[in-house]
Amino acid sequence: MIEETIRQEIEQRYESCLVTVPREKRVIVTLPKDSLFSLIAFMKEQGFQHLSFITCVDWLEESEFELLYHLATYQDGIHAIVKTRIDRTNPTYLSIVPLFEHAQTYEREIHEMFGVEFVGNNRLTPFLLTNWQEIPPMRKDFDTKEYSERTFEHE
Amino acid sequence: MNKDGERQLTLYFGPQHVGMVGNFSITLTVEGDTIQKAVANPGFLHRGFEKLLENCTYTQGFPYVCRINVMDPDPCEQVYAMAIEELAGLEVPPRAQYLRTMVLEMSRLSSHLLWLWAYANELGFDTIGHWAMAQRDYFIDLFDMIAGARVYHIYIWPGGVRRDMPTGFAEKMQQTLGGLEDSLKDYDAVFFNNRVFRRRVDGVGVLSQEEAVRLGVTGGDLRATGVERDVRKEEPYAAYADMDFEVPTMDDGDSYARAMVVRKEMEQSISIIRQVLDKMPEGSAWHRPPNPFKWKIPTGETYVRMESARGELGVYAVSDGSDKIYRMAYRVPSYPHGILVLEKLLQGMNIADVGHMLLSLNIAAPEIDR
Repeated sequence: MIEETIRQEIEQRYESCLVTVPREKRVIVTLPKDSLFSLIAFMKEQGFQHLSFITCVDWLEESEFELLYHLATYQDGIHAIVKTRIDRTNPTYLSIVPLFEHAQTYEREIHEMFGVEFVGNNRLTPFLLTNWQEIPPMRKDFDTKEYSERTFEHE
Repeated sequence: MNKDGERQLTLYFGPQHVGMVGNFSITLTVEGDTIQKAVANPGFLHRGFEKLLENCTYTQGFPYVCRINVMDPDPCEQVYAMAIEELAGLEVPPRAQYLRTMVLEMSRLSSHLLWLWAYANELGFDTIGHWAMAQRDYFIDLFDMIAGARVYHIYIWPGGVRRDMPTGFAEKMQQTLGGLEDSLKDYDAVFFNNRVFRRRVDGVGVLSQEEAVRLGVTGGDLRATGVERDVRKEEPYAAYADMDFEVPTMDDGDSYARAMVVRKEMEQSISIIRQVLDKMPEGSAWHRPPNPFKWKIPTGETYVRMESARGELGVYAVSDGSDKIYRMAYRVPSYPHGILVLEKLLQGMNIADVGHMLLSLNIAAPEIDR
């Protein structure tokens, strides 16, 4: 099974990471934040040429942001999710734009919606929101109801 | 020349511009008729769906997700249902899988026809535009018949589909497909094989295969560069594993190649729907999920994906064991196409090609904004 081979290869090289194969054509890689960049570069060499998207999950109770990089191969259609957790109070992380050019847009959105700073991305400009003054809206502690009542007139 | 002696001018293209299709805007820096720089400005349709989904129970999310793509709403319901089913371990009966395949292809066809309407109009072929729009309406009628709604169907439901085919639906479907098949010949004669059309789009907006791969392009835009990649083949969902169909590709990666991929896909969709109707298994169309008001889904995460009319559509979902989703992120095909690819292709292009480029890449603004 290709998924198992990928799992072994990654585990051999990166001892600190945890690789699971939840089902066919899926690989989930969890690892500490310091080795993520080199792992993504390694996976790109191994055939994961397609960056599907990047997303972020706010774990409020643990006070952490989880960044998820979705990579896929063109040959076998394996979809790998590479994830890492960063500190929520001062969320800064390395940009992967040098590896995948279009990561720029995804990082731009995560910067706007979660407030994560990506070092090396020179286009963290406002994306979907206009003149946003509040805390980043996709964070779990942003109260949509309170914001709407404060901003718009209710009858 | 402006007052500072510069030859460059800033031009705001959209959202209120006759050449703009959808709520989208591009800021162009032009010199004469040539575009020096283009900056895409999405956000006119941002409704915060991903955030709203976190406040909804699992079934309450359906009216939101179909609005992620106005032209092609059923795939958005399908991935949402697939994610819930995978997290909750819900089975889908075979008949429902076939019905899903049918509405997904109907959605692809009506999206492609709407695309043809806009694309042809943008290039000055108004007649074909009207034909395509009329043809699309027959599919909308079919949606009305099967789902009770014309634009947003909310037909696909966790555990299957909302209801079975009504009486006389299959016959009406065959009739509509036959009608489209006849019209395709007319479209070819008047539009796709037209010398005027060819001269307008040949070699315009060329995206090389290397560039398409580098920029994360999927769907028809990628297949127009010669890469045969389709989630329906790669990781079959619904009943696509039982279907016999081809994945059309072109080699040039220009506006003409992208249009031809869409044109050929319509033929394949017609064939898939016919196969669905022929092979439709008996049985129930729905496995009843638990009480939707008290439905708690076990803790877990999943990524599901499918091929929408525009490319790879996916959902990453995290459940924390409560009755609401913890996080749901949509991977939409128009996202890479509508920002970086568009900005790159527009550089050096003529202003007259901006509107048609947006359609050539088949960009859906609501998908980008969500």
